[in-house]
Amino acid sequence: MLEGLYSAAAGMAAQQERIDGVANDLANTSTTGYKHVRIGFRDLLYSAQGNGAGPTVMAGSGAAAELIGRSQGQGPMQDTGQPLDVAIQGPGWIQVKREDGSLALTRDGSLRLDAEGRLTTKDGLLVQPPIKVPAGTSPQDISIAADGTVRVGTAPPLGAIKLVTVPAPDGLQALGGNLYAASTASGAPMDAADATLTQGKLEGSNVDVGDAMVEMIDAQRSFQLASKAIQMQDQMLEIANQVKR
Amino acid sequence: MERGLYIAASGMIAEQMRQDQIANDLANASTPGYKADRVTQKSFADLLVSNSATGQVVGPLNMGVGADKMVTDVSPQALRDTGEPLDLAIAGEGFFAVQTAQGVRYTRNGQFGASTQGTLIDAAGNAVLGQNGQPVKLGAQGGVDAHAVGVFALTGPAKQGDNLFTGTAAGAATGTVRTGALEGSGVDPARTMVDMIASFRAFEAGQKAIQTIDDSLHRTATQVASVSGSA
Repeated sequence: MLEGLYSAAAGMAAQQERIDGVANDLANTSTTGYKHVRIGFRDLLYSAQGNGAGPTVMAGSGAAAELIGRSQGQGPMQDTGQPLDVAIQGPGWIQVKREDGSLALTRDGSLRLDAEGRLTTKDGLLVQPPIKVPAGTSPQDISIAADGTVRVGTAPPLGAIKLVTVPAPDGLQALGGNLYAASTASGAPMDAADATLTQGKLEGSNVDVGDAMVEMIDAQRSFQLASKAIQMQDQMLEIANQVKR
Repeated sequence: MERGLYIAASGMIAEQMRQDQIANDLANASTPGYKADRVTQKSFADLLVSNSATGQVVGPLNMGVGADKMVTDVSPQALRDTGEPLDLAIAGEGFFAVQTAQGVRYTRNGQFGASTQGTLIDAAGNAVLGQNGQPVKLGAQGGVDAHAVGVFALTGPAKQGDNLFTGTAAGAATGTVRTGALEGSGVDPARTMVDMIASFRAFEAGQKAIQTIDDSLHRTATQVASVSGSA
């Protein structure tokens, strides 16, 4: 009886998860290389009402939210003028080695040189494969070509920043700190054919604040709607209770 | 007389079922490609009541009401632009087909993603099928060619949950696939709220009818034989 109480509660829980996702997006509107989440919804099981109702009369169990993945839309290019800032254009990631030795992917191209002259992320993780510039090289003399080739002045290339991609980016596991790990759901990293690097720029977050705000309003109102259904079901239970005074 | 108790109760039960359906609709106000339901009610068969002493016909007596059918409104809804290359929507009639473990199922929810094999999959990992029944391959840039995705006409669509419908495919439908858009939920919040209030009042009226009949029965039991006329 009155399964609707639980269906509506499931709907509220789904909207809450959506609000969590949007809130996280809004908190990352200035995060370099951040990609906003894609939240999906689905309806849940239907079961026969029985109780003298026709066979097609079903009680639905509400809704659930699910994470489809992340939008891979390009973020805006921000000019920084820093020679070690690189922005990735197209589907690709820079591969870095984490402290525990595992590989991770990032689109945050604000690179640094460590004490030994190796290219690292701003958190000090080594770019893979490693690229080392001669001691005493000024960052201003380093040039990074669109295909990732790193040169100092007119000397021969020191190596290239390799860009990789995965077959199913939605399956990438977010590690925080702008890092993602390849998983069985994403497939193994492979060379990115359609991605290029631009020196002196960074890729901004692809969160559209306007869209995110509209999404937030929609989620709040849908949350309210579902709560109204719960109130109504509660009042019906009260009325049913008063049949016997 | 006491028949009325059960007739009124049948109405309350039917309204409860309608409220369950409305709650489910409201919970799915944001579910892309969701189709709203309606519960229809029908009266039970009438009885012909006659005077048992004289045999004179009094007239038909209805035995109440029951939830009869649930009808899903599968009419297309407005599309909403998302800009995501793997968000697909059907403008017009038709369904996407997905290969599930239980067989081919149909959906209007086009929140799709990429599989590791470079094919189009839905949120549960089921392959999205082309008109030829084969999984849809993604392009080199990870996008999808809208013409490669099948749009099927469906006879007898029935909800299964997880945005899926069962039914019998009957060839290609007239709808066309749009990329970067999603179909909105078929739930109209204003109409659903009005339905909810109307159903609630009908439920309340059923309760009042029961209370009134109960009152009458109470008086019959306590006052008919009372000589002084005081209850």
